Amino acid sequence: MGKRLYRPRPASVELGPAGVPATIAGREVESVLEQWLVEDRWWNGRPLRRRYFQLTTAGGADAIVFCDLESGRWYSQRGA
Amino acid sequence: MSSETAPAAPSVTCILIPRFELLAALGERHELLMEPLALAPQPDREQVVGEVSGSAEAYGIHPGMRLGEALSRCPGLRLIAADPDRAATAWESVLSALEQIGAGVEPGRPGEAYFEAGSLRRLYGGRLEGVIARARRAIGTTTRIGAGRSRFCSFAAAGRARPGRGAQIVPAGAARAFLAPLPVGLLRARLPAASTRSADLPTALERLGVRTLGALAALGAPELADRFGRPGLYARELAHGLDTPLRPRPLRESLVERLDLPEAVSGFQLDQMLTLLIDRLLARPERDGRSFRKLRLGARFVEQGAWRHEVTLRQASADRDRLRLSLSPKLAELPAPIEQLSLGIAAFGPPVADQIGFESHDGSERRRKLTEALRQVRATAGSESVLRVLELDPGSRVPERRALLTPFPEL
Repeated sequence: MGKRLYRPRPASVELGPAGVPATIAGREVESVLEQWLVEDRWWNGRPLRRRYFQLTTAGGADAIVFCDLESGRWYSQRGA
Repeated sequence: MSSETAPAAPSVTCILIPRFELLAALGERHELLMEPLALAPQPDREQVVGEVSGSAEAYGIHPGMRLGEALSRCPGLRLIAADPDRAATAWESVLSALEQIGAGVEPGRPGEAYFEAGSLRRLYGGRLEGVIARARRAIGTTTRIGAGRSRFCSFAAAGRARPGRGAQIVPAGAARAFLAPLPVGLLRARLPAASTRSADLPTALERLGVRTLGALAALGAPELADRFGRPGLYARELAHGLDTPLRPRPLRESLVERLDLPEAVSGFQLDQMLTLLIDRLLARPERDGRSFRKLRLGARFVEQGAWRHEVTLRQASADRDRLRLSLSPKLAELPAPIEQLSLGIAAFGPPVADQIGFESHDGSERRRKLTEALRQVRATAGSESVLRVLELDPGSRVPERRALLTPFPEL
């Protein structure tokens, strides 16, 4: 298999009271620009379910993270 | 005949692993062999069953029987999707193991191979038994081994040998006596498959009351030729213990690239996957500048089973676009969604020659330098050192499915 671009990387995310990310890798989240749900492969027993968040951190950097709804783990991802 | 004796003449040795394709399709589920099983017909082939289990044989089902007839004989017959790719890979490893002990191997169907043991005797103790023991160790699996003066004789002997135990050796001069009591059904799949006459010959002989090879051998050649033509004469020769000489396959290398697909793909994405596999094959250092003459396209279905197609090029080529044009239409024949795509080389062509032109254009000189630079970088840092981005599914909502890094194609 060739090396895939934009592969997800594990991220350290703490949630706020509303269930949206409050910090990413220790950096405070300033605002949530957008969030969306991706569901795929539900037909083959290996479903893909992700909730994406596009965020701005306190330093002004943009970030995209998602929660894998199957495993509950968080990842950051470029290109989303 | 005797077991593990030291005859002088017999040297054609048969390696027989019964139900090899069925075992490959079952994978780890060997316990299913206790049930009546048969390999299901391939989606795009004739609707006949493949290899069958012992329980299915007890119902009178045999490989090559029409699916409808097999099901009417045993309504509880369980059909197993064939996995030709896995069977071919496993069989190739057996053949390679035999070649590594010095045998010139003639492969039959998967699970059946022949080699001439005479020339190997000196290497392994001077006796046929030494060669057989070495072959058994090399294969490393439970197998039946037989030896005789001809291909058919050794095949019949292997069928009577106990799996994993001593080989059945038919001494010189005893071939006809050994074959005489055996059923003519042994000729099934031994005769050239080109004519329907050949395929039906054992059944026709049985209906005529010719049930053993001895009875067949006793028939006159003119009568057999009159009734069955050339296949009848050939069958008679086999019953006499005669056969054509072995034709060992040329030594070959196995070069395969596989790609696991994250989800069911089709159309453009499948084409891109194919392009990636071609790039990877072209970048393999073992290719050593050679072109491809015959390629093997394989796929594993999401549900169960696999598909395999060999493509022979009109002209050997290492041109990426030409290879893609030849292979791409075959993808349209895939009967079901797939989860793995593979591309292998079945035969190499001659090395790709550098064409020397009369005129030198600016572009060609630049191209030559770039090619040389690529070659040097690859030689120093490996075939994966020069990559390009290949878009697979640019519009996917899942970012990691959009693009891959793949070896930069040769210029």
